[in-house]
Parts: sequence; C-alpha cells; structure tokens
Amino acid sequence: MTTEADALTLRYLQELEAELHDLPANRRQELLDEVREHLAAARAELDPETEAGVRTLLERLGDPADIAAEARERSGVPSPPTRPATPRLEIAALVLLVIPFLGWVVGVVLVWLSRLWTTGDKLVGTIGGLSWVAAGLGGILTAAGGSTAVGSEPLGPTETSVLAVVVFVVPFVLPVAAAIYLGIRLRARTAPVRGRLPS
Amino acid sequence: MVPAKRESLITQMRRGTLEYCVLALLRDQPRYGFDLVRTLGGADGLVTSEGTIYPLLSRLRRDGLVTTTWHESPSGPPRRYYQLTAQGQQALALFTTEWDRFTDAVDRLLRQGGSP
Repeated sequence: MTTEADALTLRYLQELEAELHDLPANRRQELLDEVREHLAAARAELDPETEAGVRTLLERLGDPADIAAEARERSGVPSPPTRPATPRLEIAALVLLVIPFLGWVVGVVLVWLSRLWTTGDKLVGTIGGLSWVAAGLGGILTAAGGSTAVGSEPLGPTETSVLAVVVFVVPFVLPVAAAIYLGIRLRARTAPVRGRLPS
Repeated sequence: MVPAKRESLITQMRRGTLEYCVLALLRDQPRYGFDLVRTLGGADGLVTSEGTIYPLLSRLRRDGLVTTTWHESPSGPPRRYYQLTAQGQQALALFTTEWDRFTDAVDRLLRQGGSP
C-alpha cells in the first residue's frame, strides 16, 4: 500500500509542526524527527499495514496539541503561548499581497517572516504573490513570439484575449486568492489557541 | 469519584514520577524511542498519549541525564538509542531511595490513619 497511510502520517506531522510553531526551531525539529522515527518504527511493525492500523498508531501517539503543550512545559516556553492579541505581521502581509507590484514582493517577505503559517501555506502565498513574474514573462514571450515571427499575421482576437488573461487577470487575481486562503488559514490557526485556557 | 477528578489526580501523580520511570527503563540497557514509549505505554495509567514522552526525553537529554547514540536497525534506517549517563544513574538511585521512604510513609498513613 499505502498512499492513504502515508497521507495520514504526513497530515499528522504537519499538524504537529503547526502546533509547535512557538517553540525554538531546533527544539521543534528535534521533536518532529523523533515522532517521525517513532512512526516509521511503529509502521514497520504493522504486518500487513492497514489504514486502520495506522490510525490506531496515531491515536496512541495522541493529539498534536497535547504533545505541543507538554513540549512547552518541558522546555520552559510560556503556556499558553504568548502571542500578540492581533497578528499584526500577518494582517500586514495579507494587505500587501493584494497591492500590486511592490506590495506583492514585501507581502511575500512578510509571509515568510510569520510563525503562524506552515511552510505549505507560505508557498501558496509566494506562488500567489509572485505570479505576476511568471505571467509577465509569459506575456513578454508571447508578445515577442508574435512580433518577431516573420510574415506572420498580427495577433488574432483569440491570442489577444489569451494574452490579456495571462498578463492582467492572472497576476491580479492569484495574489487575492492567495491572500484569502492565507486569511482562512490564519483564522483557523489563531482562533482555537486563543480560546484555550491555561490549565 | 468523578472521572475528571480522577484524571487530574493521576496527572498530578504522574507529573513527578514519569521521568524516573523513563530513567528506570534505561537502567539496564539502551532503548530506542519507539521501544521505550511502547513499554511505558504498556504500564497501566502511566501514559495517556505516547507522543508526550518525546518532549520529556528531550528535557532529560538537555539536563544531561540521558544521551542518544545512533545504531543500525535490523530493518529500516538507523535508530536513535537513549541511554543513561552517570548523572542519570545517580538521579535514579536518589529517586529510588526517596520513593521507598515516601511510599512507605504514605502507605502507613493510608492503611492505619496514622495510629501506631
């Protein structure tokens, strides 16, 4: 098998990584490595490996939030995590992402500075924010191809509209889509944690 | 007793003792993470979620009570083995002595209510 088992394991590790966001990077990496090794050893003992078996392993490991709480306590990171009431950096990044050109660049930089988004989220933000680079290149190449082809007819209505989509729609729409996605992820990330009370 | 009360009672008792249970498991031989965690998980009431052992192991390592070494595994990639340091041995010995005294005292009180 076992794409489903791989997917479950991967999702679990991603959740754990997100829960550990406020730990020092080396501590977070160490813990992720150990849990990854645990899962590899545990899965190697499953014969045959079934999806249900992998689910049981993950249940025994426990809720990533519990592991993160334990890690905070054992490493002296304040619990519940101290975090600005409003994620200012993240909101600034989202606003900049929908402002063309310079805003896109600075927005992408801010997205990477954030500790609230996962690496996957950040890649979405980067692809969205920098989509104008690809679109611009595509536009230039298309335009260059059209004008240098000897004896070719001028661009027809179809090519022109395709060009318009590539040059204008893609770079303006994708950053907005990426910002919306990141906003949703941000809400999901901040809401439950803020609601968690110290025990 | 209400389940929530029972849960918090066990949590409190576990808090001070779990790390010494980990050290005790390593007294006679090094173990790799999965083996250690599974053995602890098999002890009734000691561990609710296996993953919470790893932050504890990391603390013990930073405190110099255990070290890690890599060993080949019969199947799959090399494994990280945890073993006691001399400092870990001492901490375990001290805890064992104190634990015996402590549990004796508590046992006496629980059984006899303090009468001789």
